[in-house]
Amino acid sequence: MNQSDLQALRIPLLVLLAVLVAGALAIYFTAQLMTVERRQLVQQQTQLKQAQVRLQKSGDEKDIIVSYLDRFRQLERTGFIGEEQRINWLDGLRLANQQADLFGVDYQISTQKPYPFASEFNPGQLALNQSLMQLRFRLLHEGDLLRFFDALARQDAGVFTIDQCLLRRIDNHGVIRYQPNVNAECDLSWITVKAGAAAERKNP
Amino acid sequence: MDDKLLIGISAQGATVAHWRGRKIVECRTFTDHEAGQAGFKEHLARFPIVPVHIVVDAVEEDYRFETLPHASGSDRADMVNRKLKQHYRNTPYLSAWLLGRDSGKRRDDRYLFSALTNPELLGDWLQAVIACGLPVAGVYLLPMVTAGLLDKLDVKATNLLVVAQHAGGLRLTFFRDRQFRLSRLTRGDSGKAESGTRYFTDEISNTRLYLHALRTMTLDEPLTVALIDRGDALQEAAAGVARDNPSLECVRFGRRDLADRLGLDEALLEASPYAIYLHLLGLKEPHSNLAPASVTVGYKRYQARRGVYAGCGALAAAVVIWSGTNLYSAGMLRGDTDDAARRTAELSSRYLEITRQFPQAPTTADNLKKAVEIGQKLRETTHSPQKMIALVSRALEASPAIVVREFGWKYGTTEIETGVARTAAVADPAAQTVTITAGPGSSRKESALIDGEVRPFRGDYRSAINSINSFAGRLAGQPGVAEVRVVKLPLNVNPALSLSGNTLDNPEQSAGTADFKLLLVLKAGI
Repeated sequence: MNQSDLQALRIPLLVLLAVLVAGALAIYFTAQLMTVERRQLVQQQTQLKQAQVRLQKSGDEKDIIVSYLDRFRQLERTGFIGEEQRINWLDGLRLANQQADLFGVDYQISTQKPYPFASEFNPGQLALNQSLMQLRFRLLHEGDLLRFFDALARQDAGVFTIDQCLLRRIDNHGVIRYQPNVNAECDLSWITVKAGAAAERKNP
Repeated sequence: MDDKLLIGISAQGATVAHWRGRKIVECRTFTDHEAGQAGFKEHLARFPIVPVHIVVDAVEEDYRFETLPHASGSDRADMVNRKLKQHYRNTPYLSAWLLGRDSGKRRDDRYLFSALTNPELLGDWLQAVIACGLPVAGVYLLPMVTAGLLDKLDVKATNLLVVAQHAGGLRLTFFRDRQFRLSRLTRGDSGKAESGTRYFTDEISNTRLYLHALRTMTLDEPLTVALIDRGDALQEAAAGVARDNPSLECVRFGRRDLADRLGLDEALLEASPYAIYLHLLGLKEPHSNLAPASVTVGYKRYQARRGVYAGCGALAAAVVIWSGTNLYSAGMLRGDTDDAARRTAELSSRYLEITRQFPQAPTTADNLKKAVEIGQKLRETTHSPQKMIALVSRALEASPAIVVREFGWKYGTTEIETGVARTAAVADPAAQTVTITAGPGSSRKESALIDGEVRPFRGDYRSAINSINSFAGRLAGQPGVAEVRVVKLPLNVNPALSLSGNTLDNPEQSAGTADFKLLLVLKAGI
């Protein structure tokens, strides 16, 4: 094919090129459209399945609400569910110190963070958070440590776990009188749960 | 509509037929004079770019049957071109038609070489066609086109002579076994009836003699003459031929008969003797295209353009089908989505209706249940140092020489920090380790570090170490203990370290302290 042949075929080749480009664009866009529609269908079918399951389980849902609502309210009052109730914790510390006859408790509370062992409880849509509290106090003897934690738990100021403790004997040179004999340093985790709003159920 | 122009050229002029829809729709004749040429050009100018097929009826034609050694590819082309140039030096209008293989042992190739030996006959007409920008598809000799007539006439004869009166004379074309063998155009006119019959009889006899001379057929062999009588004026001639040559069978085809067999308008048959051949040319292109490449270049470009446009059309159709299928599928998917959305809305509406009868709750039932269960589980699984302190206290009761100065406890995924590198402790041969292996797992567990000393200590390291190991053994024997490790002993006998001290045995004088550290780990889940 020489130059003049190409010249003679210039317009048909341009038309062919235009058809190729237009065809490729048409196929691309319609394929994209189909992909989007397919994705939307999958999403909609998932929502449909969820709606079916939700409707089927609506009877169970009512039973659950009836049987768990009171205990949920109770946990809300103690401060385990909802926002942190740090004042309650400090009140609890103060009262536990009095009830265990300790010599005062120094505390330091860090910022709230996600609870690292939340996955052990399979929380679903719930968010578990923790605030670390470092305590320093003095004891008459080792048994006071356990009495103090029992007293703190009885205050119902929230849910806490003891992470670690260090007891160090104070050298009093053999003098026996009513005085602290053991230094204690303990780390606690105050754990709270945040639940979604009830509107979630109202707008499925 | 696959239009084309069919042009019959003879020494007397040109006949132009417009082919459309598998038939001739218009036929005009132009004489070989200035006026005729001008009319011809004017007529061609009316047409858009349509391919032109030309048939030439001329005395100046030549046919040769030859056999060549069998070859293929470029060898065959070179050999055939050499042969054509050898036979026809003065004309570009030549052709070679491969008829088949010879039946001999060598199986040579049989060729029909043909040529128009007077190219000037075509010159002016062809120039006019090219000047109009019309692509020339081919130039053929009239006898080659006549071969197509045999099927239409349906004459079953081994030796067949087709005879037709043309403007330039009588055309006699001989076929043996339906294959072209010879054709001649005689100058002259049939004239009046009496002399016309004689003229036909003479020319047929001459042709028979010529065939005999060429050894194509003998005079004794039967011959069928097909007389093309487009004007219905050769009844007497046909009868005369049959009468004068008893060995001949003469079959006359009148105008109506021809029109019926060819599917041709009788008026066209009347208008030009070439209408028959142009019609046959329109139906099927014969072999032996004489046109050189320089003449058909325009047609090749025309075909290439049409090919590209056809490709465009096919591509566009494929795109339309593909895109249409995609759009249809998208539409179906959209319909399914809408249907699913409608059903979801219905179910949600029913669900909302049901939930209106539920007690007011601050969150979903699932969250409600989970939050309560988590709170309960956290309280039930809370760990405190109580268990570890009780365990150590029990072991201490049987070890009065052991004094605990510091007690650390941890509940976590890792053990409590000992402050002593584990490798150093292990390297110390005096540091005996009592280990109870617990099951695998990375869950949280309780561990404790006991920092103490042996009292009283008077420098008897062996006794002190025995006391420590006994204490560690008692701890290890407690239920729930996974591991007890002595991480520090009063005396480090590691050969890599220097060692110094005093062996004085005086109860009043202190010999240092017998410090130790023990790591205690409980089994996970206890």
